[in-house]
Amino acid sequence: MTRLGGIVVAVAAVAAVAAPFFLKPFGIFLISTWAVLTIAAIGLNLTLGYAGQISLAQGAFVGIGAYTVALLTLAGVPFFVAFIAAGLLCFAIGWVLGYPALRVQHHYLAFVTLAFSTLVFLVLRNEEWLTNGIYGIAGTLRPTLFGWPMGGARHFYFLCLGVLAALSLATWWILRSPWGRAFVALRENPIRALSLGLDTRRYTLMAFAIGSSLGGLSGALYAPLVQFIEPNSFTLGLSFNLLLMVIVGGSGHFFGPFVGALIAVLLPEWLRVTEGYYLIVYAAAVMVMMAVCPTGVLGLIERAARMLTGRRKAAGTQALTEGAGT
Amino acid sequence: MTAVLEVSNLRKTFGGIVAVDGVSFEVRAGEILGIIGPNGSGKSTLFNCVLGQLQPSAGEVRIDDKLTTGMRPCDLNRLGVSRTFQLLQVFPQLSVRDNLILAGQEHQGSMVSRLFGRADAGMSHAAGQMVDFFRLSHLADEPAGSLSFGQQKLLDAAMAFMAGPRLVLLDEPAGGVNLTMLGHLRERLHAYHAERSATFVVIEHQMEFVMALCTRVLVLAEGRLIAEGRPQDIRRDPTVIDAYLGH
Repeated sequence: MTRLGGIVVAVAAVAAVAAPFFLKPFGIFLISTWAVLTIAAIGLNLTLGYAGQISLAQGAFVGIGAYTVALLTLAGVPFFVAFIAAGLLCFAIGWVLGYPALRVQHHYLAFVTLAFSTLVFLVLRNEEWLTNGIYGIAGTLRPTLFGWPMGGARHFYFLCLGVLAALSLATWWILRSPWGRAFVALRENPIRALSLGLDTRRYTLMAFAIGSSLGGLSGALYAPLVQFIEPNSFTLGLSFNLLLMVIVGGSGHFFGPFVGALIAVLLPEWLRVTEGYYLIVYAAAVMVMMAVCPTGVLGLIERAARMLTGRRKAAGTQALTEGAGT
Repeated sequence: MTAVLEVSNLRKTFGGIVAVDGVSFEVRAGEILGIIGPNGSGKSTLFNCVLGQLQPSAGEVRIDDKLTTGMRPCDLNRLGVSRTFQLLQVFPQLSVRDNLILAGQEHQGSMVSRLFGRADAGMSHAAGQMVDFFRLSHLADEPAGSLSFGQQKLLDAAMAFMAGPRLVLLDEPAGGVNLTMLGHLRERLHAYHAERSATFVVIEHQMEFVMALCTRVLVLAEGRLIAEGRPQDIRRDPTVIDAYLGH
């Protein structure tokens, strides 16, 4: 990271800590939602942005995590145990969901994950004995941390922010390790990766499992944040929204999900002044953005920075396609 | 001399098409074996079967007397068998250095130790030596995709050598490379061969390159082995000339 990048990140971190002291409760709820959804988007960015495995099931994992925590805490299990359980459960399910990715790729894989997403929704809606069906589950309590109750909006926001910071660091560690390089190799050229001794099978499953477990941990905070969960919160719409965050922010950029989630959470609120038209404006804004910068906001910033410094980097895909034609 | 690679009665069919039709040969330790043949004669399919990228329909592959038929490419690679590709196969968005580190990292420790260990898996030094060896040092931090075709070919070869393999299969290393770069590549291959006493198998169309590099040549046509011998003899063999010019 450049020094300028470091300064921007530091300023953003300070802003994230200071923000709740200047916001009304609804504002704090929004930035809490941002922190929670960013965690899920970081997971999807790892699976899709780095390892190149498309998934339309991230919203389903948020749902699984949310229901796990809601049900376990209602049964008397301490929140932090339930939180870990949600992560582990989604890790295991994500690992299993990775198997189709060993056989199919791209839009076929998208369909497999889409089917899984629908399946999870149906289980949440129909298995009333477990999930209470369409009536949902109310009253997931916010936890107490070392004797500090996290019930207040501001306190709970700091819990979300703390978890976001810890999980970001963990993800950063994974991505800077040889695993991160292996994930990118998986995205760029799995056949070559295999011939260089990369167990592409294990890395693919790992990319799904880690990404899904981050989805689950996001859901584990979502349940106590909104304190009422129902199946309709975790439909395909949420998966698409998370996908949008990753792509708008900049797929394969570490800070992409942070920016993408911020836009996806705040833009609809700012557009409320347009009243009935806000969804139309929002949709149009997203389309323009995708047409102008398919590499997302961070891709656009990177391109601008490169033009300013006059350094030519990346953009090597053209050479590859030329080579493949010979 | 012992056989590093032993292929017996290897056969590969795609539907009704027989791509490789009962091919048997041995590669002895330290030799540079060339495989030539017209387009579609089954050379690359043969490579892919030996390296586990394709499952052979019949026959056996042995490496150091160990039966390896059907093993996965990544497991074969960790046994010390490496390859280059006919078409460009680098990771365009990774830097040249990262391409090389990647080519060696899976040979270091276990998956878990790599997660908690150093970011470069301790391969930076070796990667530095390899970019020097292939004279790519000035490009080490550039994304591999920004390199010229010939430079990417060099990088591809460098990646194949990164983990110190004993057996390297090179699929048309000279294809599409200009003459200056070609001489350079040949010199580097010779140097590596001499330094590490590695064994090479080279598929190539460029006859001058084969003549200068290989000690023995096999000729494939329509999936069958039709000739074998020293490069200078193969060049005059009427069956070989016939296979290339058609019937």
